[in-house]
Amino acid sequence: MALPAEPPATQPALPPLPSDVLVTPVRGATARMTFIRFPASLYAGDPNWVPPLEMERKDFLDPKKNPFFEYGEVELFLARRGQEVVGRIAAIRNPRHQEIHGTKEGFFGLFECVNDAGVARLLLDAAGAWLKQRGLDSMLGPANFSSNQDWGLLIKGHESPPAVMMPYNPPYYAALIEACGLVKAKDLFAYELSASAEPPEKVVRIAEKMRQREGITVRAVNLKDFANEVDRIREIYNSAWEKNWGFVPFTDKEFDHLAKDMKTIVRPELVLIAEVKGEPVAFSMTLPDANHALKAANGRLTTFGLPIGLVKLALASRSIRRLRLITLGIKEGYRRRGLDAILYLDTLRTAHRLGYSGGEISWTLEDNHLVNRAIESMGGKRSKAYRIYQRPL
Amino acid sequence: MSDVFDKCSNWKDYRIAKATGLYPYFRVIEASHGATEVEIEGKRVIMVGSNNYLGLSADPRVKEAAIKATEKFGTTCSGSRLLNGTLALHEELEGRLAKFLNRESALVISTGFQTNLALASILGRHDIVFSDRQNHASLVDGIRLSFATERKFRHNDMDHLEQLLSLADPNAGKIIITDGVFSMEGDVCNLPRITELAKQYNARVMTDDAHAMGVLGEKGRGTSEYFGLEKETDLVMGTFSKSFASLGGVLSGPFDVINYIRHKSRSVIFSASMTPASIASALKALEIIEAEPQRRARLLDIAEKMHNGFRAMGFDTGVSVSPVVPVHIGDQVKCFRFWRALHEAGVFANPVIPPAVEAGHALIRTSYMATHTDAQLDRVLDTFETIGRKLGVIPETRPTVYEPVQIARPGTSVRSNKASEKWAAGSAGLLADKGGITLEQLQRMSSREVAGKIFDAVEQLTWRAANLQPEDLRQLRSAPMKLWEKRGTLPGLLLEKGAHFFMRNGTDGNPAERS
Repeated sequence: MALPAEPPATQPALPPLPSDVLVTPVRGATARMTFIRFPASLYAGDPNWVPPLEMERKDFLDPKKNPFFEYGEVELFLARRGQEVVGRIAAIRNPRHQEIHGTKEGFFGLFECVNDAGVARLLLDAAGAWLKQRGLDSMLGPANFSSNQDWGLLIKGHESPPAVMMPYNPPYYAALIEACGLVKAKDLFAYELSASAEPPEKVVRIAEKMRQREGITVRAVNLKDFANEVDRIREIYNSAWEKNWGFVPFTDKEFDHLAKDMKTIVRPELVLIAEVKGEPVAFSMTLPDANHALKAANGRLTTFGLPIGLVKLALASRSIRRLRLITLGIKEGYRRRGLDAILYLDTLRTAHRLGYSGGEISWTLEDNHLVNRAIESMGGKRSKAYRIYQRPL
Repeated sequence: MSDVFDKCSNWKDYRIAKATGLYPYFRVIEASHGATEVEIEGKRVIMVGSNNYLGLSADPRVKEAAIKATEKFGTTCSGSRLLNGTLALHEELEGRLAKFLNRESALVISTGFQTNLALASILGRHDIVFSDRQNHASLVDGIRLSFATERKFRHNDMDHLEQLLSLADPNAGKIIITDGVFSMEGDVCNLPRITELAKQYNARVMTDDAHAMGVLGEKGRGTSEYFGLEKETDLVMGTFSKSFASLGGVLSGPFDVINYIRHKSRSVIFSASMTPASIASALKALEIIEAEPQRRARLLDIAEKMHNGFRAMGFDTGVSVSPVVPVHIGDQVKCFRFWRALHEAGVFANPVIPPAVEAGHALIRTSYMATHTDAQLDRVLDTFETIGRKLGVIPETRPTVYEPVQIARPGTSVRSNKASEKWAAGSAGLLADKGGITLEQLQRMSSREVAGKIFDAVEQLTWRAANLQPEDLRQLRSAPMKLWEKRGTLPGLLLEKGAHFFMRNGTDGNPAERS
């Protein structure tokens, strides 16, 4: 007897939906707080997890405080099994992304889930349905909420804590998401670089030669002239990232908001602006890895009404030894002139001088070969990988 | 052990409102000056809170008719229509109304409310009633009194109505009942689509034209005339207490149906009939409505003027296309304060609060008469602007642009204006007060939970303090000055907060039920 031919296994069977789990949109302040506090229970005992400040998350989700909500729309969902919270997700509509890329892509983000593919599917389906209702035809993520904030799912490099403003998640998330039929859209890389090792001699030679020939001067940002410096950086940033995959330019409000946030942790010596004949054409921003301090605070500034977290935060912020080079942007027309090498080199030297041990350069697109090669030539080692998934709706 | 009266002695809302001076109901009118101005507590105020749309209650001809009828027939009929309470006047009015409304038959009933209760007699056990969620309370009660099944559709949501119709038993008797002009938001029902659906699903249609009769349509016959759908509308209800300057209601439709209601409805046969004076004034008003279409035109002109006047200042008058001009205030206590300030400045308008509207969507409802003078209307507008700015309902300066209103003039078939996002959200109940903790919740919390709440508050304060920017500090420094400048409005603000607190902690339920 001939067996009937198996149907082609193009799509593996989706996980069965659990009947005892309910996914509901978040309504009201109490549910919102539950949404914010869920990760704390999920990550309990994970030494690498950095708890965000509850209040910072609260402001982030507050349409009156987060400038993303001036154009974007977000719906939060919680999955509960009985009284117990077992997962959360955000569905995100970003009209600016649609307009700039000419697609009908929506996003999911703030995804956290117990190790149960059925729950993950319920969550992703809820977000998908919400996006579909709004006329979108595909879902990308995780994105919290856009490429200007943190995004991507950590798929490689779980053994060390994340750098400041980078995502972190348990290793099983990739399997959960893939089981729900999501596939890779793009990978992002993070590189590790030591500040104590001497930079390769070849790079130094080229950089210094270019510095001479093109008349490039590099200076640290002037915080006393904050507003104007922010404007200069904004211009370079939006022009440098214009054609990048997934990029949506900041609105002025968003950029100011971010600049204000960063002002509290920034070391001005590590924010460099490169000028050619007085015109700012490139910049790089390196931040002390505030996660070290955040971890000490454990999510709260106060305990039993006492500013314990605040004190711990202040103390720990003095012993930050790692950095994250968060952006490096060069204006169109000034690329391939060694500006990136000069900025890397100057950052590295300053970092060494200030006593930092090293840090991370992140993130870069997997197919941004120019940048990735430059980082590797500086001695950067790929340390972590993140993935953006997608699924048609 | 519980006592029936417990709920009354435990009812705090009234006492709070009285104590704070924000009690807006049962105001005593001491005298009327041509209906457009009345005297309250010895003070003359402009009346923009009555439904006397055509201003006929002060018309000498109507008054004279009422007096003459009283002289001829006495002050009351002392009995039901069924027995001793039918006068020649009743029959005359019914005949005239049937003719006016282009229908076989009409029945006049002692009040508008009872007219809708009378519907219960034709809604049988196996019938299904499809009713708009914002229908008037009298319709809600009329349907509730019947044995029929009620299916409520979302306000003016025709997709929802269709969904409900398609799910209903195809063999059951069906009727769609809707207000013509909705009394609080002032928009008009989607009669074209309703009659279309009715045909498709074999349902009857009834409109409650309490606010539409005498106002909408070329001849003032109401919603169905306005849309040219009189044949498709089976039953029309109207009241005499609005455009007809009297008291009572009318139900008009096919002879068999009206005759059945006349003999079977308990609100008709067990109630004393309309008084001679009421009948005579309604008759005279009908005559004037037919003879003086310019009153309707003037009323709609006024509606347009007021809508646009409010909109130009930055007020939101929502979806209304009629002389019902609701002004969105939002918060319930602010609405009371607004009302109080209006009253003190000489304008009589009505605050509309939950449950008449959704929480967070409190309104000041204004409505106009054809006899209002432009000077009176301008004074109303000026008063609203001053108070609106003072209470922060509108911006300090007028917006540069506003969306002009569309008015339901004859031949336009306009149904509603585009709702602003705020209005739509309010109407859908999404602006509800976020609450806070009530004393009762506090009592039920364990000490650990209470401590948690307090520590959360400290956390929040610390976060705010840690995030203070230099410009925030500068603002903080000027805060005492600002507080001093605003000293006049402080008591009001405190009142608002205090009233909120008490209302959250107030109870109108039976304590025995809760424990």
